[in-house]
Amino acid sequence: VSTERGSKLERLFRHRLYNIRLPELGPEERLLDEDELVNYCKRKVSRWERLKKFYIEAAAASNITIPDHPVTFDPEASWLQFHLGINRYALYSRDDGSIDRLLRDMQTAPVISADFTQDEKALKGACDCSQVVKPSGLHLKLALKLQDFGKAMFKPMRQERHEETPENFFYFVDFQRHNAEIAAFHLDRVLDFRRVPPVAGRFINVTGEILYITHNEELRSVFFTSPANNTCFFAKCLYVCKSEYAVCGHPDLLEGSMSAYLPGLSIAPRISIPNPWIRAYSFTGREEWEVNPLYCDNVKKRYPYNSGNRLLNIIDMAIFDFLTGNMDRHHYEIFTKFGDDGFLLHLDNARGFGRHSHDEMSILAPLTQCCMIKRSTLFRLKLLARSEYRLSDVMRESLSRDPLTPVLTEDHLQALDRRLGQVLRTVGTCVKKLGETQVVITDFVESSRVTT
Amino acid sequence: MILFRKFRVLILMVFLVACTMHIMIDLLPKLEKRAAGSSSSAGGGGGCSCAHTPGEEPRSWAKQRARAAAAEPGWPNKHSLRLLQDFSNEPNSNLTSHSREKVTERAESEKRVRQLQLGSEKRGLMRDTVKQRAVQGSSRLKALYEHPLYKTDLPHLSEDDTLFNLNNDIRFYPKAAGQQEWHNEGNVEEEEYSPTGEATAESYPNWLRFHIGINRYELYSRHNPIIGALLKDLVSQKITSVAMKSGGTQLKLIMSFQNYGQALFKPMKQTREQETPPDFFYFSDFERHNAEIAAFHLDRILDFRRVPPVAGRLVNMTREIRDVTRDKKLWRTFFVSPANNICFYGECSYYCSTEHALCGKPDQIEGSLAAFLPDLALAKRKTWRNPWRRSYHKRKKAEWEVDPDYCDEVKQTPPYDRGTRLLDIMDMTIFDFLMGNMDRHHYETFEKFGNETFIIHLDNGRGFGKHSHDEMSILVPLTQCCRVKRSTYLRLQLLAKEEFKLSSLMEESLLQDQLAPILIQPHLEAMDRRLRLVLRVLADCVEKEGFPLVVENDLDRQPSSHHHQAH
Repeated sequence: VSTERGSKLERLFRHRLYNIRLPELGPEERLLDEDELVNYCKRKVSRWERLKKFYIEAAAASNITIPDHPVTFDPEASWLQFHLGINRYALYSRDDGSIDRLLRDMQTAPVISADFTQDEKALKGACDCSQVVKPSGLHLKLALKLQDFGKAMFKPMRQERHEETPENFFYFVDFQRHNAEIAAFHLDRVLDFRRVPPVAGRFINVTGEILYITHNEELRSVFFTSPANNTCFFAKCLYVCKSEYAVCGHPDLLEGSMSAYLPGLSIAPRISIPNPWIRAYSFTGREEWEVNPLYCDNVKKRYPYNSGNRLLNIIDMAIFDFLTGNMDRHHYEIFTKFGDDGFLLHLDNARGFGRHSHDEMSILAPLTQCCMIKRSTLFRLKLLARSEYRLSDVMRESLSRDPLTPVLTEDHLQALDRRLGQVLRTVGTCVKKLGETQVVITDFVESSRVTT
Repeated sequence: MILFRKFRVLILMVFLVACTMHIMIDLLPKLEKRAAGSSSSAGGGGGCSCAHTPGEEPRSWAKQRARAAAAEPGWPNKHSLRLLQDFSNEPNSNLTSHSREKVTERAESEKRVRQLQLGSEKRGLMRDTVKQRAVQGSSRLKALYEHPLYKTDLPHLSEDDTLFNLNNDIRFYPKAAGQQEWHNEGNVEEEEYSPTGEATAESYPNWLRFHIGINRYELYSRHNPIIGALLKDLVSQKITSVAMKSGGTQLKLIMSFQNYGQALFKPMKQTREQETPPDFFYFSDFERHNAEIAAFHLDRILDFRRVPPVAGRLVNMTREIRDVTRDKKLWRTFFVSPANNICFYGECSYYCSTEHALCGKPDQIEGSLAAFLPDLALAKRKTWRNPWRRSYHKRKKAEWEVDPDYCDEVKQTPPYDRGTRLLDIMDMTIFDFLMGNMDRHHYETFEKFGNETFIIHLDNGRGFGKHSHDEMSILVPLTQCCRVKRSTYLRLQLLAKEEFKLSSLMEESLLQDQLAPILIQPHLEAMDRRLRLVLRVLADCVEKEGFPLVVENDLDRQPSSHHHQAH
């Protein structure tokens, strides 16, 4: 952590708004029980050791040697601390040192295994080229296991930083951008939502850190050497359908984003819920919210949006997505343990930051139609609009700590300021129309004590 | 509940009425058709009938439908939809409207044969009067075509040397007479092209005159004015129907024109400045419309004349593709993009997905239109595997890549052991190297001419992908065989000279296209660089094996043009 004096980011995090104390956490308000998690992990490690021997034998039979990385189980490992820190208010706390450690580990720790992700395996190779909207499992991403047994999802670079989404692309065929994943994590932290799992950028050696160490025969089969002598690999279905070409290292090095895995579904189950403001995912179709300005009145009456602050969380998410320009938020996830009032996880942000020259106002529909916002969120947004804490400046500073810096071009950073202005203006019109008490909802008891 | 029961009867009634109407509407045309069928067989007898008056309406339902579709090109009317579905249910036919296209094409070819028979001045057409193409300004191109190397003449052409031998073809298609009916239908719509007994060769559409001119040695003659007119036709003729080409890897459309000519449309996929990414294999490269256009011009400047004429055209996707296609599969891939442009992606095995949709601005799309060769039913073509074909596999290598003496083997295999075939392959190799086309897996010849004929250079869309890279492996046939035609060798040397520089000639030639500039400057310059590389390879060959073994003299066998003209 940089401790620079003139740092706007440091000043922001020292601000009263970022130091609201949480109520004391009861045992039921933490996601995981420490003993249970440690036991779970020990079982996983021993299972891994057992299977590894089998893998190595199988690989040797087909003349491939897989390096034997010893795995040690460390209860102090950063990813373990991250998992233990998840509570009903956020994925991590503001002053959690393990997050910075986790980011560092994902940037440098040796990779000991690579495999397809679970959602890709779940598709079992099914591939329908005529499908216009491909399931997310088909996109090129890999699960990498690190030395300390932590796992990260690797999304390779698909587009240059300066490239924008082609104007004729629909949101559901847009590229997956590794830098959007990284920037989304930093933005989420700057907004103090803390609902995105930590993401770091990394240069991966595709030969040494994926091809040579994978135990998956099928993954090995998608590797090839290009005419320019680069090592390349591809997403099988999309390659067969000729909708996407392979990604290639130069000659072996490939940049990408590493997103920390959340605790396994067996110990921390999550459910995926369709976004009430989902898009049509077709060329012509329109959803109800796109034509009905009173759509929110219906949503407000519906469970679970009729009570608690679930709707306010949706609006937080809409503001977050509007700032990044992510139109592809069809579902959101919550931890079942925390019930209906738990926070929403902002997973999968790779389709943000595609166009810096365009503000997609339809993403903001939940805010414009419902006209309500959390007081804490609104205050922070107002703070970030002030020149001494300007959003683009704190984002630039935050992103400069990533090894792949610059993660965002200057144009994208400027767009953040402009979009922030749009959000505040939208809240302003709502207040003018309905009055502040209707629009600005007090969420935390503490936040009401803080005045700006 | 009682209310519901009361209504149930009403609903049932309405449903019944709807059903009856539906069946009636469905059956009506079929009944009409049956009636029409009987009337036509009664009147015509065997289909050979004289001119029907326009008042003598529907002869067959399908024809009526076709005409209706031509008249009001709106998709979909209910019957045509049903008809297409019926087609697609047939085994062996996933062509839908394309199979209809074939039928018309056949009819057209047969019409063509009849016209050939009728035409009195066919000799005049086959041996075109050498008219100078009108080229504006102080033209290098003009100077090139005035060079003695571009004035060599063909040997005398006998009946066997022209593609169309009329009597034979007529015998081959005894039903040609039955197409009279079709002509008359054309007659109604299009007076000027009506083939009546006294029609002269000049009144034929240009595409037909192009077909008639094909002979054993060339696709078209050097100063053929028809080629210029045909290129104009490709750009200006009204497009009457569009179909997707089945087979082939990337999306191609077959366009039919008002004058019954047809052309292959390849839409623009990449901008002029884009290069093939370095990691792409030759078989995953895009097909470029500008490469097709440039290949035709290059082939003409090299005096090979083995590429069918290609012209660039701005096509209106709404009016000239979507509204005139009867192909449901194509039609349903049209959509409006978020930027409010019209897009479509068609159906094919390569790059036919939403990610690679072709979008207009807002509905204009560039593309290349290549004139069709004569229908296969009339002039069969033979497809040959290129001996230097690549492996089309990411890891495997082809035989020629590992065996340096590969050419010795090829030289002993028919048809490369005699005639000019091996030399023609060398010509093609040089042509492909100049463009950077690595995708020449097959080539074609006209079956009628046997093995003593030129090879057609079709499918050049994968050339001009990288201007900064010279793919030396394309030249391997030349380096391994060390053989070249003298005429080719001399022309290459000429084009390397400053006053006939290939790049300037190409630039000038390509300016005639509507979509000019077709190639950006780096591509033009790359051709000069590659030409020098070819000449260096040939010089090395001559040094190693001696001039007579390398350079095959093909010039002295023919009478010079002056000699010929004296007759």
